[in-house]
Amino acid sequence: MKMETAGAVSKTHNDMSSDTTTILDNSNSSELDPILGQEVAIGSIDAELRKLWAVDKARTNACLINFAFYSEQKGSLTLNSRIVSELTRDHACRALLIEMDRSASQPSLRAWVTAHCHLSQGKKSVCCEQIAFALTGVSRGRLRNTVFAHLSSDLPLILWWQGELSPIFEERLYSVIDRFVFDSSSWSNPQASFTIIDQAVHGSKRPLVIQDLAWTRTYQYRLALASLFDDPLAQQNLSHISQIEITHHPLHRNSALQLLSWLATQAVWRQGLELQLAVSHNQAQKESYHFEHKTGESIKATLISDEQAAPIAQLSITGGPMSLVVNREPSSAHIYMRLIVGDHITETLAPAGCDDCAMLIGDQLARGGKNSLFLKILPLFQNLLESQLR
Amino acid sequence: MNNPFREDLVSRSRPAACTVVIFGATGDLTHRKLVPALYNLALDGELPPGVKIIGFARREKSDAEFRAGLEELNCKVSRTGHDDAVWSSIAPNIHYHQSEFTDAEGYARLAATLDAIDRDRGGKGNRLFYIASAPEFFDDILTQLKNAGLNEAKEGYWARVIVEKPFGTDLSTAQHLNRIVNQTFKEKDTYRIDHYLGKETAQNLMVLRFANAIFEPLWNSRYIEQVQITCSENLGMEGGRGGYYDKSGALRDMVQNHLLQLLSLVAMEPPTDLSADGIRDEKVKVIRSMRKWDTADKVAQNVVRAQYTKGSVSGKSVPGYREEDRVDPESMTESYVALRIMIDTWRWSGVPFYIRVGKQLPKKATEISVHFKSPPGVLFNALPTGVPGGNVLAIRIQPDEGISLRMVSKIPGTSLRLEPVKMDFQYSTSFGKPSPEAYERLLLDAIAGDATLFARRDEVEEAWKFIDCIEQAWHQATTAVPMAEYVAGTWGPKEADDLLHEDGNSWRRL
Repeated sequence: MKMETAGAVSKTHNDMSSDTTTILDNSNSSELDPILGQEVAIGSIDAELRKLWAVDKARTNACLINFAFYSEQKGSLTLNSRIVSELTRDHACRALLIEMDRSASQPSLRAWVTAHCHLSQGKKSVCCEQIAFALTGVSRGRLRNTVFAHLSSDLPLILWWQGELSPIFEERLYSVIDRFVFDSSSWSNPQASFTIIDQAVHGSKRPLVIQDLAWTRTYQYRLALASLFDDPLAQQNLSHISQIEITHHPLHRNSALQLLSWLATQAVWRQGLELQLAVSHNQAQKESYHFEHKTGESIKATLISDEQAAPIAQLSITGGPMSLVVNREPSSAHIYMRLIVGDHITETLAPAGCDDCAMLIGDQLARGGKNSLFLKILPLFQNLLESQLR
Repeated sequence: MNNPFREDLVSRSRPAACTVVIFGATGDLTHRKLVPALYNLALDGELPPGVKIIGFARREKSDAEFRAGLEELNCKVSRTGHDDAVWSSIAPNIHYHQSEFTDAEGYARLAATLDAIDRDRGGKGNRLFYIASAPEFFDDILTQLKNAGLNEAKEGYWARVIVEKPFGTDLSTAQHLNRIVNQTFKEKDTYRIDHYLGKETAQNLMVLRFANAIFEPLWNSRYIEQVQITCSENLGMEGGRGGYYDKSGALRDMVQNHLLQLLSLVAMEPPTDLSADGIRDEKVKVIRSMRKWDTADKVAQNVVRAQYTKGSVSGKSVPGYREEDRVDPESMTESYVALRIMIDTWRWSGVPFYIRVGKQLPKKATEISVHFKSPPGVLFNALPTGVPGGNVLAIRIQPDEGISLRMVSKIPGTSLRLEPVKMDFQYSTSFGKPSPEAYERLLLDAIAGDATLFARRDEVEEAWKFIDCIEQAWHQATTAVPMAEYVAGTWGPKEADDLLHEDGNSWRRL
């Protein structure tokens, strides 16, 4: 945790909520962006950041992490600046926003500085610095040498990669990152991208924690299912499970597959021989997978894609006298859980978590951890992805 | 049985479905703390599915009336607000059981109700009994639970009891209560609650000490000069609390439990592991090593007791302690106590631990401060300003939970002048999300079978041994230790300042 008393609010911009302000320095108003702040020369970023705190001693600069956002989408700086404004309510950080246009012929680099402030417990104004970078053209090493030269020292670096992986994601980049966040839901070729990620995890000189937001989306479902299987009656029927159905939104197939991979990995199911056959009968809205218990008994898993559904809308499991449903209505804040074993019925609600990437990131930051479970399920998940190609 | 789906989901002991029976269910604690805590656990998805809550109390009430009363207060006090959907999911699991605490038939009916719930769960079940009644009923409740066979868990399941403070009023009553508790429940199933240990900063004490390499090497008499623990309140006997407080006093109400628990966390040796007993073994060694002030003279030299006189707090005039509602006008109960504690271990030899706690002080604050020795003065003592004080590590338990470190720094300029500066870490600034209430954490721990943050029998009894020596000197010695006075709204009596001045120290300014 780094803190310092800060100031210099030459102009404030009211953000989405009333207790949020963005500090801007309007000493050169021609280069002032209402969202990104003051445009500054690359060589004077640190000096310009200091200016933000020079006058108003009532503000506190807080920073626990370096949080970099990388996007190749035009307009991403503005969008991400708004996300930082919300995210910094709970997670004090130095934000580095990076927008890259690799198609431009000439390399260029522009930067803006600002700070997002929130009232902490209604009294103290706590601010987090933001540096936004717009890069064009291909010039290797600029991220590491220029952008990441502005990290707050000794604090971890988290990089949120938005969109498809590109050649920018290479060893010199990921070797400086502590946690790499991405959303595989947005990838057109997840198989290929996960292979690159795999290489990064195993090839990085320092431990690289990876975090797929598609996996984070399954968290509340995993928690709900784990709670239901705390019930001894459910546990007794674990070895009798014969059918699984997961309903998901078409954009969130990876989440559904990861959920299935987790179930199979944790319950120590083997992929059944029928897998390829089932896949060859793949229908537009349904896909089937087969697994086997240690005893050889078969388990059929079906993924149902539904345009109207929540990212993960329903997980149902049946086997022996047990039936279990974890269900979420679209846009509901809760998930409903029901376990039936014979006459025994347990019903309860649990928080649904969020779907929005920014909020998922916030949840993930709050949880932390090395995400080793994700690495554990990754081989099966990649297998299931591959199987669809065969 | 192992649940394979639990792996890596939460880094804490796993809570299991159970029935929570709360004795004293119509009381303030149930309405303001326990049920809102269970509600917030449900909201966060921390409460296992199928948890049932049974309120046990004397008043006639229906389930619906009981639920309505709980809901009304939950709307007001829940730290996350009140969500109708969440409440609707837990309300059907809340029931009311009317019975006298001494009525065997009422416990037989309770057993039948619990059996019915267990049948619904598939035959057997876990039970957590929370004794939140007035202390005079503790014995009866425990005895009746035993008579009804409710203390015995069925195979593979558990029956646990949480006992609220005060855990006795002296060593003999604590021993008596412990005997009753241990005749009813096994020690491993007994959870003596101290809500101070559920506070985030109290839990962070061990992390601060043992997860950071820079503190532990300095954490001893070679580098530490003194340790202070302050618990100040800016309230008096409002709301009729004088009736209870006048029978108890600051020493028994706060020092015996909360402050000695904090002290033991500050002073303990590194535990061999993070198990409940691993940690509690080390804590109890600290309490056992505290030098006993076992004569009136020693008490007079090391302990100051005082009552507040008329004054003003937060701009409001307040009466003196003896003029307070439900307080004996000739009361000899202390509203303030300051102690010098010596811990006779290798690590702490010669380091005084000062504790002060009091009512009607200028502000509400609980803080621990570790005062390091000054460096050798050979370099800077000749300066006109000298070296201003030493390093102080302050741990704020409440409010504004956080940690600060005071250091000495050069004032910018051409001349060499030194001033103290402070590095400050605040939970609320760094982590926007508010911490759970202490009762949330402690209830979940009890359901999960993690007794780390609960006091063990020997801790309680050792603490009472220390406290009893002082109480006896105050109330039974032929040469009674005098009762000092302080004006309400000040930081305590002059005698408390003198206690530290004798050692060349002074109370830290809060």
